[in-house]
Amino acid sequence: MRANKASFWLVLFTVLIMTLSAGTALAAKPIILGAPLSTAYLYGWDAERGFTLAVEEINAAGGVNVGGTKRLLKLEVIDTRDLEPGVPVSDALLAVEKLILDKKADFIVGGPVRSEAALAAMPLLSKYKKVSILSTGVLTPKYHAMVAEQYDKFKYCFRIHGEAKNLVGEMFANFTELKEKHGFNNLFIIAQDVSHARGAAAVMKSVAEKKGWNVTGVEIYPTGATDFSMGLLKAKETQTEIINIWMDMPESAILLKQWYEMKIPALPFGSTLAAAEQPGFWKATDGKGEYTLCNVVNAGNAPSDATEWTMKFYNAYTNRWKVEPEGLGTSSSYMVVYVLRDAIERAGSLDPDKMVQALEQTDIMGVYGRLRFDPKSHQVIPAQDPKEGAVGSILQWQAGKRVVVYPKSIAKGNIELPPWMMKK
Amino acid sequence: MQILIYGTINSISLALFAIGFAMVYGVSRLPNFAHGALYVLSGFITWSFLNAVGMNYLLSIVLSMLATGIIGALIYQFVLIRVRGMEISEIMASYALGLAILEGLRWRGFRGMTYTLPSFIEGSTEIAGVSVDYQRLLVVGIGAAVVALLWLFTHYTRIGLALRGMAQDERAAMMLGIDSDRMAVVAMGFGSMLAALAAVVLLPLGNIVVEAGYNVLILAIAVCIVGGLGSWVGAVLAAFLIGFAQILTVVYLGAHYQMVVALLAIILTLILKPSGLFGQQKELEERV
Repeated sequence: MRANKASFWLVLFTVLIMTLSAGTALAAKPIILGAPLSTAYLYGWDAERGFTLAVEEINAAGGVNVGGTKRLLKLEVIDTRDLEPGVPVSDALLAVEKLILDKKADFIVGGPVRSEAALAAMPLLSKYKKVSILSTGVLTPKYHAMVAEQYDKFKYCFRIHGEAKNLVGEMFANFTELKEKHGFNNLFIIAQDVSHARGAAAVMKSVAEKKGWNVTGVEIYPTGATDFSMGLLKAKETQTEIINIWMDMPESAILLKQWYEMKIPALPFGSTLAAAEQPGFWKATDGKGEYTLCNVVNAGNAPSDATEWTMKFYNAYTNRWKVEPEGLGTSSSYMVVYVLRDAIERAGSLDPDKMVQALEQTDIMGVYGRLRFDPKSHQVIPAQDPKEGAVGSILQWQAGKRVVVYPKSIAKGNIELPPWMMKK
Repeated sequence: MQILIYGTINSISLALFAIGFAMVYGVSRLPNFAHGALYVLSGFITWSFLNAVGMNYLLSIVLSMLATGIIGALIYQFVLIRVRGMEISEIMASYALGLAILEGLRWRGFRGMTYTLPSFIEGSTEIAGVSVDYQRLLVVGIGAAVVALLWLFTHYTRIGLALRGMAQDERAAMMLGIDSDRMAVVAMGFGSMLAALAAVVLLPLGNIVVEAGYNVLILAIAVCIVGGLGSWVGAVLAAFLIGFAQILTVVYLGAHYQMVVALLAIILTLILKPSGLFGQQKELEERV
């Protein structure tokens, strides 16, 4: 009887504490995460879904402890349309400013997505002292270089995903392996006529030539191009073995279909190849995208066992959105929210300067490895081993599945060549 | 050889983009700036019939073309008829409708790269050592058939003759008892169906994306301006001119100049011969 009475009071006490703490979280003003994203594009909606999932998980667990007060998170998204052709950068800046002034965002997360827009938004973030963590699109190395060069001005800017130099390095590691294994030496570069892709193509050409590769051609296609046959024929005529593609426009799927139909004997190896990142790519191309390789920037955007959290995130995302993580900004956007929670709880406040300090001291094991920011440039520290830093992820479409082939520490398979290349 | 093969394919694709636009303008003098939107819309309608409803592919195509034709006719009957004759208003109204269709599709979730239509025939072949896929060869066949059928239709059927009569001289046609507005509705319906036909033939080569609507509109306008607004023959010839010029540009200058060709063609035509190759508009002023 006494035991029953004690249990009753214990239950009552627990319920009371839970109600009170929940009440506090509900009553406290939510922490607003402002996300300027190009939501009609893969790199926008994947980030939005990543944020939403993390926000829901954290709120379900009671919210974020800010100096002893539990506060819930609230996501505010504004469509910047900055990935759409012809939309001026100023539109993205207006979206950022609206998030800060109208939506009273405490932090800016995700974008702007296009490099040009993100670079232009940096002074705005400084002006309003808004801590921002980029997590999708924006691959330009200039972003973190600017933070390092003018730290006091741009110290509020962070980036949690890999950048172009990491991507180039990761791809060359694979090219070298293909050279050693199959004797490949001819590289053809196809890029979209946008700043980051043109820049990357120039870097690839220069690095490839320094590394002894024969660059057989560079073709820059305008955004919206729908016929790539002449470029592919040039690649075929020059006996190219790898076609390096830098293209985030939807029409890149046409390029890969044409490559398959024309049986071009060169391996398509892309970066920011949005069409091939999506799980629906196989169905969309009727399997003609097989053997396509693409860099999805960070682990977790394709299935792997990088960390204990990787597949937990992968499955939670799939359950929530009824589709697997799709684009290069998914796992990184999800992790932004957890990294912010960790930093807020350590800082005990939302004060921007305290947050900058707390973020610089971030050291947590995330979905794609150990997450730390370089204290000078605020770029996430990359690594080959998830125990050391943020790992990248290169996948290849094999028999209808996205198989991670790089880095070796998390790979689920090896690079395969199409049958029409095996004859060589 | 590859220039000849891919130049022909590219030219016929451009002709398919433009022929519907040319027909509507030729008959009703209405620049249908919703043409690109109707092209994309018909792609999504076909996709929906095929994937969401689970219909047979051929039936999906036929129904989609009919639906797009009806939508085009309704657009004319309920919106454009009210501004007919007011050129700026016609452009603004049709462009606004096109925008509404494209942004409405985007808003309803038709975004991303996974909306595709299957090829009619899989595989590829080699012609004189140049690889070409069967779907592209089919584009050439269907494009040529469309041009031939359109010629027969406008020369040997009552409606076709009425449309031609309207295109040549609207007032004279009206004096002969042809109902101008009715013919304009028919032209808009046919023009929209031709946009749908272009979509179902060309979209299996790639994917269905909203942005394609804007590109198709620009290319259709370029072809029609060079060919002469209102001239169907001119449109076909201009498609070949621009189509081959684009391929030659890709081969000898670089792919990124490809889009410049169409825009340059518009500018040069407007400077040198504003009426285009076969257009009658402003022809008198040019002669004077």
